[in-house]
Amino acid sequence: MNRAGAIFREQWFFLLIVEAALAVVTGLINPRFFGLNNIENILEQVSVLGLVAAGATLLMISGNFDISVGANIGISACVMAIMIKAGYGYVPSVILGIVLATFNAFFVGASSILFKAPSFIISLACIGIFRGIALAFTKGVLQLIYGKFEFLGTKRFFNIIPLLFIISIAGYLIIHAILKYMKLGRRAFAIGSNVQATYLAGIPINLNKLIFFIINGLLVGTAATLLLSRIGAAQPSTGSGIELQAIGAVVIGGTPMTGGRGKVIGTFFGVLLTGIISNALNMLQVNPYFQDVAIGALIIVSLAVSAFSQRRA
Amino acid sequence: MLVTIKNATKIYGQHKALSNVSFELREGEVHCLVGENGAGKSTLTKILSGAITPESGSIILGGVEHKSLTPRQAIELGVSTVYQEAELIESLTVADNIFLGDERLSHVPLVVDTRAQNEKAAALIRSLRLNLKEDAIVEGLSSAQKQMLQIVKALYREAKVIIMDEPTSSLGLEETNSLMNLIRDLKAKGIGIIYISHYLEEIFEIGDTITILKDGESMGTFPIQTIDMETVIRKMVGRDASLFYTKETVALGPVQVQLEHLCRKDVVDDVSFDVRAGEIFGLGGLVGSGRSELVNLIFGADRKDSGEILINGEALTIRSPYDAVRAGICLITEDRKKLAMFTPRSVVENIAIVHNERYEPPVLSLGRERRRVRDMVQRLSIAVTDEEEQTIAELSGGNQQKAIIGRWLLSDARLYIFDEPTKGVDVGARSEIFRIMVELAKAGKSIIMVSSDMPELMSMSDRIGVMRGGRLTHILERRDVTEETLIKNFIGVLS
Repeated sequence: MNRAGAIFREQWFFLLIVEAALAVVTGLINPRFFGLNNIENILEQVSVLGLVAAGATLLMISGNFDISVGANIGISACVMAIMIKAGYGYVPSVILGIVLATFNAFFVGASSILFKAPSFIISLACIGIFRGIALAFTKGVLQLIYGKFEFLGTKRFFNIIPLLFIISIAGYLIIHAILKYMKLGRRAFAIGSNVQATYLAGIPINLNKLIFFIINGLLVGTAATLLLSRIGAAQPSTGSGIELQAIGAVVIGGTPMTGGRGKVIGTFFGVLLTGIISNALNMLQVNPYFQDVAIGALIIVSLAVSAFSQRRA
Repeated sequence: MLVTIKNATKIYGQHKALSNVSFELREGEVHCLVGENGAGKSTLTKILSGAITPESGSIILGGVEHKSLTPRQAIELGVSTVYQEAELIESLTVADNIFLGDERLSHVPLVVDTRAQNEKAAALIRSLRLNLKEDAIVEGLSSAQKQMLQIVKALYREAKVIIMDEPTSSLGLEETNSLMNLIRDLKAKGIGIIYISHYLEEIFEIGDTITILKDGESMGTFPIQTIDMETVIRKMVGRDASLFYTKETVALGPVQVQLEHLCRKDVVDDVSFDVRAGEIFGLGGLVGSGRSELVNLIFGADRKDSGEILINGEALTIRSPYDAVRAGICLITEDRKKLAMFTPRSVVENIAIVHNERYEPPVLSLGRERRRVRDMVQRLSIAVTDEEEQTIAELSGGNQQKAIIGRWLLSDARLYIFDEPTKGVDVGARSEIFRIMVELAKAGKSIIMVSSDMPELMSMSDRIGVMRGGRLTHILERRDVTEETLIKNFIGVLS
C-alpha cells in the first residue's frame, strides 16, 4: 500500500468528504451558511468542544475515560466567575480555575488507580461530586460576569479568525505532538493496546495513567476558561453533556472505544462534523431537538463503519 | 467397541499436531495416553470431544462413522471430559451444577425443584461412594472434590466415555487413591475411560491399555501387562537426528548471574543456580513444573517471597519489570500475543519501545528510531515490507517472534531469558532464533532458556536444569544427557 492509497483508508479523509458534501448541500439551500459570520460562528462553537475532545482522545487511546469533564468545567467555571466578580483579577482567577480542573482530573485518575476501578465508573461518580460541590458554594445562583472577561471569547485576529479557535487548534497540536513525537504518546498507545505487555516492557502503568489524566485536566481547565469568557456567565450545569459530545467526536474520528489506536486529526474532523451538523440543522430550520438525534445517529453510523472496515481487514 | 478413531490427522499452520493416529476404546476399559508435552494427547481427545475438527480421518461413535463431531454431538453421544481446571459454576451448589442446563422444574413454572434435584444428586453421589455433599457450594470444594463432581455430572448425563486429562496433577496421595477407586467403579459399570497422565506409576496401576504418542504420531498400542516402564519411556523419546541443531561451541566466561534461594509460595521452592557468561542454561520440566513461574520471579513480573539475584556479584533489587530492564535483564515471554505484542501498532513502535524507554529523551527522533529499527530488521532478517505502516499483527508468527526478540536486543542486557523461544514459529525462523541466541552467548551474555521442546533443549543448552513441582531437582551437563534420562527426570522416575 503506497502513501497516496493509504489516505483513502483514513477516517479523517472520509469525514472531510462528508463535511464538504454537507456544506455544499446546506449552502445551496441556504446561502447564508457560507457567510463569514456563520463560518466564524461554527469555529467558535467547536472550539471548547475541541479542547475537551483532544484530551479525551489521549485518554481513550490509553484505554481510559473521563466522563466527569462536563461537571469539571461547571465547577471550575463557577470558581473563576466568583473570583472575577469578587475582583481578584483575571490572571489569578484563571490560574486557580485551571489548577482546580487539573486537580479534579488527577483525583479521577488517582481514585481509579488506587481502587483498581475502571476510570469510566469513577468519573461517573465524580460527576455528582463536582456538580454537588459547585451547587453548594454557588447556592445554585447563576454567576454573571457580563462585560468583564470578554477578551478571550470575542477577540478575532484580522477580524476574521477567532482567538478561541486558535487556542483550540493549539490544544489539538499539543496532543498530536505527544502522540506522534513523544515517549509519552508511545506509552499511551502501548497501554491502550496491551497493559500486560507494557508492564513487561518495563513501563510504569499507573504513573503514566496519572499523567494522561493531568494533561486532560489542563485542557479541560482551558476549555472552562474559554467557555466562561464566551458566554459571560457560569453555573454548576455549565458544560454538562460536553463529555458525551467529546467521546462521540473521538469515536466519529476513528479512535476505537477499546484504545490502542487513533489520531487527533480524526478527532478534529469529528468535532467539526458535529459542529457543522448542528449549524446546518439550524440553518435549515430543523427543530433543535433533532440535533441531538442527528449527533447520536452519527455516532452509531461511525461505529458501524469502523466495525465493517475491521471485519474486512 | 465404544469408540474407534481411524487415521486422524490435525494440522495447525505448518505443524502436524497429530498424524494418522488410530485409537480404540472398549466398554469398561481404561485406555491411557502417554507422551511428552505437545505429543498430541490432548489433540486426540479434543477430536473426540468435538472441540477441534481433524483434517482427515474418522470417528466411529455409537455405531456411526463421523468425519468430525461438534461439542454438542459429542455430549449427546455420551462423551464427557473431566478438565484439570474444573468447568463448574463456583457460586452454585453441587446439585445445581449437576443439573445445570437440564434443571428439574417444580409445578410452579420456571421455578427449579431444588429438593428433587438434591435427592437425585445425593443418590448419584451415594452410588459412587463419594465424599461430597449435594448442597455444598462448589467454591468451597477441594480440587479433588471438584473433579469428582465433574465425573458425577458426566454420569448423570449418561456418559459412556469419560476423558480424564491429567486428573491427578493437583491431587494429594489420598485423593489420588480415591480417584483410582472411583475409576474402578466406573469400569465395573462398563464405562470407557481415556486417561492422560504424566505419572507412569498411576498408569501401570489403573490402566488396561496404553497408547504412546510422540510428536503427533502413535508409537503403538499395548496391553499394559505386555509392556514395562522402561519400554514406555524409550518409545516416548528417540527422535530423528535432523531435529537436533548443532550449536557452535562458545567459550564460557566467569559466573555472571547468580540466583540464590528464590522462593514464591506454592509455585517456586528454593531454587538456586549460576549462569556463566556465554552460557545457555536450559530449563526443562513438565507443563506446570514452575519453569515460567521461576523466570517471572527473576524478571520481577511476579514478586518473590525471598531469595537473591546477583549479576557480576552485585545484588539487585528487583521489584518490577521496570527494575529488571534497568538492571540488565530481558524476558522474551512465552505468549507473545498476550504478553509482548502491541497488536494494532506498527513494527517500528513494537521494536523500539524498550530502547526508547531506556535511552531516549522524552521527545523522540523519528528518523533515528526508523534507522535503528531498520538495522535490527535486517540483522534478524524479519520479513516486513514497510515497518512504519505494517502492524506487527500482519507478520507471520516467526517474524513476530523475531520482532519481539529485536525489541530486547536493542536494550543492553547481561541476562536474556527466553521462555519457549520457538513456540509456533516455522523451521526457518527457528534456526535463525538459535543463531541469535548463539550470537548473544558469543557476546558474553548469559541466557536462560525455558523449553518444552526436547531437541531444542538438548541442542541449545550447555546445562539443563530440571524443574519438578516448583523445585530445581537436578542440573545435568549436556554431554551426560539423553532424551531418556531427561524425560525420566521430568516425570520423576529414576532407576
